[in-house]
Amino acid sequence: MRIVLDRPRCEGHGLCEEAAPDLMHLDEDGELVLDREEISDADAALANAAVRVCPVAALRLA
Amino acid sequence: MTDTAPPISDLDLFDDTVLVDPHPSYAALRDLGGVVHLPANDVHVLTRYDVIRNALGDWESFSSAGAIGFNPMVNAALTGTSLASDPPVHTQLRAALTANLSPRALRGLKDSIDAKADALVEELVNKGSFEAIDGLARALPLAVVADLIGFTGHVRANMLRWGQAAMQVIGPMNQRTAESFPIAGELYDWCSTVAAEDLAPGSVGRGIFEAEARGDIPPNTAGHIIHQYLGAGVDTTIASIGNILALFAAHPEQLALVRENPSLVPAAFNEVLRYWAPVHAWGRRATRDVEVDGVLVPQGAQVAILFGAGNRDPRHYEDPDAFLVGRNPVDHLSFGYGPHGCAGQGLARLEAHAVIEALARRVGRLVVGPEVRVPSNITRSIEELPVLKMAPA
Ligand code: HEM
Ligand code: SF4
Repeated sequence: MRIVLDRPRCEGHGLCEEAAPDLMHLDEDGELVLDREEISDADAALANAAVRVCPVAALRLA
Repeated sequence: MTDTAPPISDLDLFDDTVLVDPHPSYAALRDLGGVVHLPANDVHVLTRYDVIRNALGDWESFSSAGAIGFNPMVNAALTGTSLASDPPVHTQLRAALTANLSPRALRGLKDSIDAKADALVEELVNKGSFEAIDGLARALPLAVVADLIGFTGHVRANMLRWGQAAMQVIGPMNQRTAESFPIAGELYDWCSTVAAEDLAPGSVGRGIFEAEARGDIPPNTAGHIIHQYLGAGVDTTIASIGNILALFAAHPEQLALVRENPSLVPAAFNEVLRYWAPVHAWGRRATRDVEVDGVLVPQGAQVAILFGAGNRDPRHYEDPDAFLVGRNPVDHLSFGYGPHGCAGQGLARLEAHAVIEALARRVGRLVVGPEVRVPSNITRSIEELPVLKMAPA
């Protein structure tokens, strides 16, 4: 499973980072960085939570 | 594809008693079905959490074009705005709109918003008793948005009326809408004639005009952007800050939880938004026959999204009628979701978090009298909230 970011859609709300800080973070400029794109089964729940919380639907699992 | 028609209710969604206290009606509609047809308003309402969230994410089936308002005049007036467009046009309009509203663009404003909120709350604690909607709920957003856009003079004084009218006219063509159109028209006229020099140097508003002059955004869009900030961002934020005060007064043990653990501030705002949605109903149009929850929403149907009904859906939230800051409902529907998800939510959060932090830091006991509500078509807010006692922490 992979986590995919629709970059133009992302507005840097950072709610995904709050849900899954091990998987992603906002950098100094407020741009989202995916720290882990390949999602293991152990992280699937966290990845799901991050996808769910994005208010503009910029993240998805593929 | 099913041909089962949705259940029907004789409810009038914009009746005075429903607008003032919609939650019993929301519960009844939700029990009938995820989609209910209301002949009185000629709309199909979406009532359950999953149904609403799916529809907000599916712009191809539920279009915003000519459909977010409940009368043809307002839909015509909003043509060409981000709110009333679908991708791909929407994507471009939204980029211009959010360039100045994204959390990274707003970072520089946090300190001044925190300071404003803290000074207001300090002053009110010193007074001890006051009317809280004018004293806090309106005072903060009006000051913040006025400074953001760079308003000066008479425009500042008009912001409250203009912002209220801009939301009111989204409703059906009732008396409230008819009375508000001329006022919403004043806002529209001002926005179509405003020029860079009218706005304070260094303000975000001035920056939008500079972006237009540089060609970063299309010609003649600066005024429209400012129109949307004022139309969408004033009345809603005022409602949410009034709700913060009223809900903390009614649930002192919840304020105590935030006082003991300030990291609950964002969770508390999420719960305030979930519990009392500032936006009552918002429109879409079915572009095709759509099957929702086993029933048919026919092509062309005017749809009304009931954010507040979804927020209290027991299929999604346990014990939904309880106000509990600890539940942190990050996925509440009050800002919408998906392509049109509120573009100003970063700013609304900055303001509301500043208020909750100041209250948690400075206020011990909060006693209020009965809240006064007046029916309004779209924004559900408290009109007057007498604070009888606000004692220091
Ligand atoms: C608590 C306060 C607020 C609430 C409850 C709220 C609610 C909403 C909702 C429900 C939508 C979605 C409409 C749709 O799906 O068609 C929306 C969109 C929008 N909001 Fe907010 N809003 C708030 C504050 C603000 C502020 C402060 C601003 C700007 C300064 C703002 C600007 C906008 C804009 C421009 C859109 C349209 C976005 C688009 O079409 O892509 N809002 N808001
Ligand atoms: S929550 Fe969505 S918009 Fe916000 S940073 Fe994450 S991906 Fe971007």
